Amino acid sequence: MRCAAAAIDVEVRDAAGHPEPDVAVYAMPATGAIEARPGKATAQIEQVDREFVPYLTLLQTGTTASFPNRDPILHHVYSFSPAKTFEIKLYTGKSPSSVTFDKPGIVTLGCNIHDWMIAYVLVVSTPWFGKTDAAGIVKLRDLPAGSYAVHAWHPQQRAPADPVTVAPEGQAGATVRFTMDIAPRKPKYKPPFDRLKY
Amino acid sequence: MPVVPPRRPTGRFPKLGTRIVVFFVALLVIVQGVAAFLVIQASSQVARRTINQQLEQGERVFRQLLTQNQARLEQGAGILSADFAFRQAIASNDTGTILSVLRNHGARVGANVMTLASLDNTVRADTLDPARIGKPFAYPDLVKLASVDGKSSSIVIRDGKLYQLVVVPVLAPEPIAWVGLAFEVDDAVAKDMHQLTGLEVTFASRVGPSEEWRLHASTLPAQLRPALAVELARLPESADGSGEITLGGDEYETRLAALEQRADKRVVAVLQRPLAVGLAPFQRISAVFFWMTLAGLAVLVAGSLMIARGITRPVHRLADAARRVQQGDYSRHVDVEHRDEIGELAESFNHMLDGIVSREKEILRLAYEDALSGLPNRAMFYEQLGQAVRIARRGGENISVMMLDMDRFKAINDTLGHTVGDQVLREVGARVRTALRDSDIVARLGGDEFGVLLPTGDKEHAPRVVAEKIHRALEQPLVVGGQTMDVAASIGIARFPEHGEDADALLRAADVAMYEAKRTKARYAIYNSSHDERRKEFLTLLGELRHAVEAGELELHFQPKVTLAEERASSVEALVRWRHPKKGMVPPGDFIPFAEQTGYIGEITRWVLRRAIEQCGRWQMNGSRVRMCVNISARDLRQGEELVQFVSARLAEAELPAGMLCLEITESALMEDPAIAQSTLRRLRELGVATSIDDYGTGYSSLAYIKQLAVNELKIDRGFVAGMEADQRNAAIVRSTIELGHNLGLTVVAEGVETEHELAQLRRFGCDAAQGYLFARPMSAPAFERWLSGLRDEAGARAGVAGA
Repeated sequence: MRCAAAAIDVEVRDAAGHPEPDVAVYAMPATGAIEARPGKATAQIEQVDREFVPYLTLLQTGTTASFPNRDPILHHVYSFSPAKTFEIKLYTGKSPSSVTFDKPGIVTLGCNIHDWMIAYVLVVSTPWFGKTDAAGIVKLRDLPAGSYAVHAWHPQQRAPADPVTVAPEGQAGATVRFTMDIAPRKPKYKPPFDRLKY
Repeated sequence: MPVVPPRRPTGRFPKLGTRIVVFFVALLVIVQGVAAFLVIQASSQVARRTINQQLEQGERVFRQLLTQNQARLEQGAGILSADFAFRQAIASNDTGTILSVLRNHGARVGANVMTLASLDNTVRADTLDPARIGKPFAYPDLVKLASVDGKSSSIVIRDGKLYQLVVVPVLAPEPIAWVGLAFEVDDAVAKDMHQLTGLEVTFASRVGPSEEWRLHASTLPAQLRPALAVELARLPESADGSGEITLGGDEYETRLAALEQRADKRVVAVLQRPLAVGLAPFQRISAVFFWMTLAGLAVLVAGSLMIARGITRPVHRLADAARRVQQGDYSRHVDVEHRDEIGELAESFNHMLDGIVSREKEILRLAYEDALSGLPNRAMFYEQLGQAVRIARRGGENISVMMLDMDRFKAINDTLGHTVGDQVLREVGARVRTALRDSDIVARLGGDEFGVLLPTGDKEHAPRVVAEKIHRALEQPLVVGGQTMDVAASIGIARFPEHGEDADALLRAADVAMYEAKRTKARYAIYNSSHDERRKEFLTLLGELRHAVEAGELELHFQPKVTLAEERASSVEALVRWRHPKKGMVPPGDFIPFAEQTGYIGEITRWVLRRAIEQCGRWQMNGSRVRMCVNISARDLRQGEELVQFVSARLAEAELPAGMLCLEITESALMEDPAIAQSTLRRLRELGVATSIDDYGTGYSSLAYIKQLAVNELKIDRGFVAGMEADQRNAAIVRSTIELGHNLGLTVVAEGVETEHELAQLRRFGCDAAQGYLFARPMSAPAFERWLSGLRDEAGARAGVAGA
């Protein structure tokens, strides 16, 4: 029953009013968690130039993700996060196995070979999520009418943002604004790539 | 000469050598002492400075090491925490697994204690103390620091132990927990530090300023550690925390390097270096210095001893030589070794020694040698005789002693002078010497007396042989000063042991024998005990003679001188006679020479003069004008003015004109001392007394001398007169003497006229008067008076005879 689809515009800025891009935003329906049907949702987190791409991935619970290796060298992807603990041992090219994120939560990905490689997977039990663009804005669409708790999260956030409950109606929907204090990302030292010297 | 013991030097530094050595040694010791003091002072300062520099340097190295160590531990911790299995185990959340992985991986990096803390600072696991689980992690500041830097570390004390605690996150890849790795700082760490810094390293802590220091680890031996804890408390709380600490008797330069200071808690590393290490090179130098000083001392002592001995040895030698000289040993010279001042002294000493030797020789020579003849003198002869007697007595041998006295030497001396006499003596000595063997000894005993010693025992006749040889040697005419003369000697011989037991007795015996030879006019005489008797008589004679004068035993006899022209007794000679109570009449020859020898002649002459003058006075009063002639000896003549005064007084007493007295003096007496004789004779002539020369012809006086004497009369010796008949030469002498006498204006009288023939010859020669038995023997005064009156009666008859 799809009716009266609504949208939520979320705008994230810092205290100074500057837009905060790449902030994960999701809306949890008051009606409860919605998991993806098994095998339906897939995602890819690539390793390119010894970096996880993308850095932050939002997935609906039940999504199966693969980790294709685009580098000419081996990677060893792991996660000790309680939401999903896994490990894909040394491989190249297509990941020998894919991982189904079946619990909501934050999964921190690392590579056992390259300490600087880090990526976050935010597993949420809702299909309505997105990352703010360069203007700090993300539009959540096609939400059934109802009450939603809108969450904003960023790996470098200094304090968690309180969820905002909205009940969007129609295409105009609702607009939620977050003010977040996010630390600049400090990537660990990454040695330059050299075929001869890894 | 008393032998004075040589004065030994006394005092604190008695000897020159010791003084020199002590001076130089003291000098070296002072110089070296001052040098050593300065060196020690400077070296200890330098050592301290060096040690301090080493300490500072050591501290820098230490800190660097500490930092490196920390970095190494952190790195290890980082690697550990990044280990996948480790992270996996941690992420497993299983306490047992976590504990075992902590233990396992902690062991890999050598951590002693591993602690896991959750991100909210709660201890989740501890490998040492499970009780800490659930409690807050004790080092939140380290966690904070690690959350920024990815790691942190600090020195911490846990349960009294010191640890280097490193805190690192467990990354997955975000921090999921904190792991603390505690590495105990123990003795091994301190030892590593010591090996790298060269310092003694001690880790100590205290919880408050007034609390005690606790030592956690150290390179010091265990027994020194409690002392260090005590000493640390005494160390001043200065900025750099350095100072000196004495441990177990060794000094340590000490620096405190702060490791951790939290509130009052203090953790320090005590860095030390023993001063001895810094001093070691200086101690080596000091040792070298010490041994060099010792060696220097040895060389110095040896050297200065040598120098000192170089000075004192010759001085000692000189002193010894001086002592020897003092004791009369002149035999050794001092060796002159060096041409330095000492050498000069030694040379002077030797010259002095030579001088002493030659002077002593000269003194000895003067003492034992007769200067005139060069022969040994009486003293030497006496000594040698004594020695010969001793040797002969031991060996039972015989020796002979001869006493040789020249005959008529006095006359030679008187007439020809002492110079000639001396030469004669020398010649006689030389001749006697040639007559002897080398082993025999001849000495001049004095005057014209020589002694001869025949030391070796010889046959009985040996001395006779020698005496004959001496006589033969003397027989050769002697030519001295162009004059030829005959000399002869009388020799007395005495033998050991029969004539005397010692030198004195032998000399006396030889003397007696010699007189005997003279008396008997023998060439020599061997001592006989009867000689001694005669000598004894001779000695008693003197006493008897004195007695004779006093007791009136002497009487005067008179012998007239008859003038040849008138046959008249113009004068009379007074002759002394001794009527000895026991021996009867003693002839003048037996006591007059003796009286002359002993000097008693003076008494006799005065007695004779007194009596003769008195007699002459009496005769004059009776009308007999006869001149009185009295004999005067040389000794009387020497009395000079005394004699003149005596004669003058006697003449005055007797109221006799001086012209009635004539003094007869023998030619030899006149020659004995011509000057006094001349002046005395002149005084007598002035008085008016006539003088006559007696025995003319026996001496060696010239007529020129006689002329000077201004005498009135010459009396020709009876020897010439008696020989006139037998020997024409004697007649010629008598004749020429008479002529010469007349030429000089003298009356000439002939003595000893015994025959008519002689009288006739004398008349022919023009002799003025004569005396002799032909006319009258000496007779007493009454006899003379009778003779005188008889002569007057006969005068006419004799004149007739003569005329016929």
